[in-house]
Amino acid sequence: MSKKNKIYWFEGVTEKGVKSLLTDENSKYRWLRSQKNRRILVVLMALGTAFVAAGSYWPTLKINLNLSDGTALVIYSVIAIFAIFAVLLGYLFLRISVRGIADAPDELLDERQIKVRDTSFRYAYYAMGYLIAGLLILMLSGPDLKLFQLEGNDGSYVIIAVLFAFSSMPSMVLAWRERDI
Amino acid sequence: MLFLMSRNPEEPVYNRIEDARLALGLSRQELADKVGVHYQTIGYLEREEYSPSLVLALRIAKSLNQEVSELFSQTPFKKGK
Repeated sequence: MSKKNKIYWFEGVTEKGVKSLLTDENSKYRWLRSQKNRRILVVLMALGTAFVAAGSYWPTLKINLNLSDGTALVIYSVIAIFAIFAVLLGYLFLRISVRGIADAPDELLDERQIKVRDTSFRYAYYAMGYLIAGLLILMLSGPDLKLFQLEGNDGSYVIIAVLFAFSSMPSMVLAWRERDI
Repeated sequence: MLFLMSRNPEEPVYNRIEDARLALGLSRQELADKVGVHYQTIGYLEREEYSPSLVLALRIAKSLNQEVSELFSQTPFKKGK
């Protein structure tokens, strides 16, 4: 009888999932784990998340490119689906590249891994603080970005991007800092 | 900002884990399985980039049939000793 796969609801991981990432069972992902490739992934994730955050301004394409309503809607939809899917894929690759350490519970990690995970959360906290503070400063004293309007630009892409950043920041810090994962 | 993250310069703990492990003909993975850590952690320990807790040091010493004082030191080991 196979052992029950424990689900860690709070962390959003399963025991088998984390254990599989911690071993080298899936050698097809080994290329992701070099520090250079992890850092490239972090940069791509940051750029992708920034692109999603700018989604609220994609409608200006309609004016700039002189598109009809129907064509513009199709173009926005394709760009939105592609961008969000790409960032989601990047997030999954990022988790694989750091062996899921950022999201793993204590009982599945050794003492060094717990230490690096906790350090990555500390820096992720700072990074999110700077990010949110930057957004607030931009909204309050930057150019008139017209974020969070009741109609049209409702800021939903900014919220999606912040959620992506919030979920992936500890893994991004871990991927950037650690020499060997 | 990611470029500004500092590393805590720990007081180094020198060790002879690699010598003792090789003397027993163990791979990093085998030693890792014995002491219950990831094999990368054995690598970090052997490169003296991570100082183990007392519990882990005791487990490693036991797995390598050595005393903790024979394996770990606050001063560098003399080569060949």
